[in-house]
Amino acid sequence: MSVAITGFGILSAIGNDASAVLSSLKAGKTGIGPMRYLRSSHKELPVGEVKLSDEEMLRMLGQDEKAIISRTVLMGAIAIRQALEHANIDTQGKRVTVISGTTVGGMDITERFFKQIKDDDALLPLLEKHDCGSSTREMADLAGLKEAQVCTVSTACSSAVNAIILGSEMLKNNEADIVIAGGTEALSLFHLNGFNSLMILDKEQCRPFDKNRAGLNLGEGAAFVVLQSQPHFISPQGKRIVIRGYGNRCDAFHQTASSENGEGAFLAMSEALQMAELQPDDIQYINAHGTGTPNNDASESAAIRRVFGEKIPLVSSTKGFTGHTTSASGAIETVICILALLNDFVPSNYGWKEQDEACIEPYANSKFINSKFKISPLESILCNSFGFGGNDSALIISKSPLPAPPLGECLRQETCILGECIIDNVEQLGELREFVSAGEARRMSKLMKAATISSLKALREAGIETPDAIITATAFGMLETSEKFLVDMLENGEETLSPTLFMQSTHNTLSSAIAIRTKCHGYNMTYSQGKDSLEWALRDARRLIGTGKAKTVLVGYHDEATPTFQEFFRRMGKPVPQEIYSRSIVLGATKNA
Amino acid sequence: MEQLIKDLKLQIKNALNLEELSLEEFDENAPLFGDEGIGLDSIDILEIIVLLEKEYGIRLANPKEGKAIFQSVKTIAEYVQANRKK
Repeated sequence: MSVAITGFGILSAIGNDASAVLSSLKAGKTGIGPMRYLRSSHKELPVGEVKLSDEEMLRMLGQDEKAIISRTVLMGAIAIRQALEHANIDTQGKRVTVISGTTVGGMDITERFFKQIKDDDALLPLLEKHDCGSSTREMADLAGLKEAQVCTVSTACSSAVNAIILGSEMLKNNEADIVIAGGTEALSLFHLNGFNSLMILDKEQCRPFDKNRAGLNLGEGAAFVVLQSQPHFISPQGKRIVIRGYGNRCDAFHQTASSENGEGAFLAMSEALQMAELQPDDIQYINAHGTGTPNNDASESAAIRRVFGEKIPLVSSTKGFTGHTTSASGAIETVICILALLNDFVPSNYGWKEQDEACIEPYANSKFINSKFKISPLESILCNSFGFGGNDSALIISKSPLPAPPLGECLRQETCILGECIIDNVEQLGELREFVSAGEARRMSKLMKAATISSLKALREAGIETPDAIITATAFGMLETSEKFLVDMLENGEETLSPTLFMQSTHNTLSSAIAIRTKCHGYNMTYSQGKDSLEWALRDARRLIGTGKAKTVLVGYHDEATPTFQEFFRRMGKPVPQEIYSRSIVLGATKNA
Repeated sequence: MEQLIKDLKLQIKNALNLEELSLEEFDENAPLFGDEGIGLDSIDILEIIVLLEKEYGIRLANPKEGKAIFQSVKTIAEYVQANRKK
């Protein structure tokens, strides 16, 4: 069955709505330029900012201009409002779910007020909006969806595509009537400096797939699509766009680098084609992840060559226009693919000049239209989205749906627990050496150690070395490493920050590290929705097993609290969270279902 | 030079959290990367680049430049000696 896209909204460096974005793409006008809104000392770094101040966005949303609301939330709420307006649907009485992909969440506010919060109780409530889950809740409320259920997916730069995949799965299993899925990410000092510490930011306009590419430019933005299980939906303009297939796989190679042969990307693209019941030949255009880093573009090219062989369709990365909008990029690029399909238009690979042997040759210049590249009417597009930790996903967006099986009959298999382990005391962390060498342990934060022990012990109990899928849940994520990085940045300035801390700050750090350790190239997902995080992870695991996509799933709930964080809770008069809590469960299918 | 090598060993051990490596065993000529020697990786290179900037005011813009410099503690010491700003 295919899921229909009945509306969409977008806010990015190249336009504050879909028609502006399309115009910029057609005119070849990039949105990357000097920094205007982000308060960073790294003025030498070009960025793709949304050309709206926080105050302007607050006004657009009918809020007090002086309100302190994360830019992630503001952009997301505007994009959701656009998408709902475009879909022109009544959400009253319907089961509505908002699924957002983000990693930054309320970090832009936290980093601005962190020092003041330490002495000012009046600012404490700002911290309650820091985590990804609460930023999604606030965004849905601002978009007028107070009754909607919300969920946040956080798999670093592939978050938004994974949000769209989750939404499609929920609709197919009749868990919702309407899903608004996508992603939002504001530029923050935290991740700008983090990417800078990894030395993967280009000081010039980025050039994905180019021989002389030297890194990425960060961007920001939000995009959301309205999804409904009406494969035969046709818009008032007589158009139909569906999500026809998708794949989510893990490269299981390295925390911040992609494997040379692009294994995770290859598997994700292959899985998407298989679900879509399409051959590589049926794809007319690939919107590549194409960040502009030497590593990503070579690895992605290798994967594309493995899937498509000699007959590679038109490929472009649109990050030369928008910048790399990290967790939002999958949704921004999905909307760009929808615009391409609706207009039979292929956006160019802005910035590309010179062929690199290690890379595919992208569709970069309109002069090719009539010579080397032949554009036929677009039918199906592949959209790639990859993240740190090798969280690789791919979507196939098409004009024609797959035949539909009846709704709600997908869950055929019951689940049972095969193994379980809880680590809730730092003294238990000594058990790590049973599984991990000193050399490997040296970079691990407490939570990473706890998650590694609980995962490996649960798997051992289940008698499984490599699970079919790994799903993690975390309300606050990697607090210890994130706080160290944040404090160092705020106290010592935006120089000489630790890449080791940054690469262990994203919420998917745990799921990807465990995938690397267990050599699991299967489905890999991370949820961050406050106290509901574990429930979302378990639902996903039951869906995977119930639909026969996985036989064994490692589910983990991992959270930690630093002394600073505990002190904040004490001052708020709230229950103080534990220093460490990690629970891993191995789920399997019951034998006689 | 001897003092610089000693300082660098301690700084690298601390920055990379090499708990089990004793300073006595830390051979300044041993290869830092690859399976043969200390066994460091690309993220460690980035950490050493941060260390050189913090401690010696040396700024390396491109990690690729570092390949020759980061062969061993000895080669790092020679580079620091020639380029240090503090």
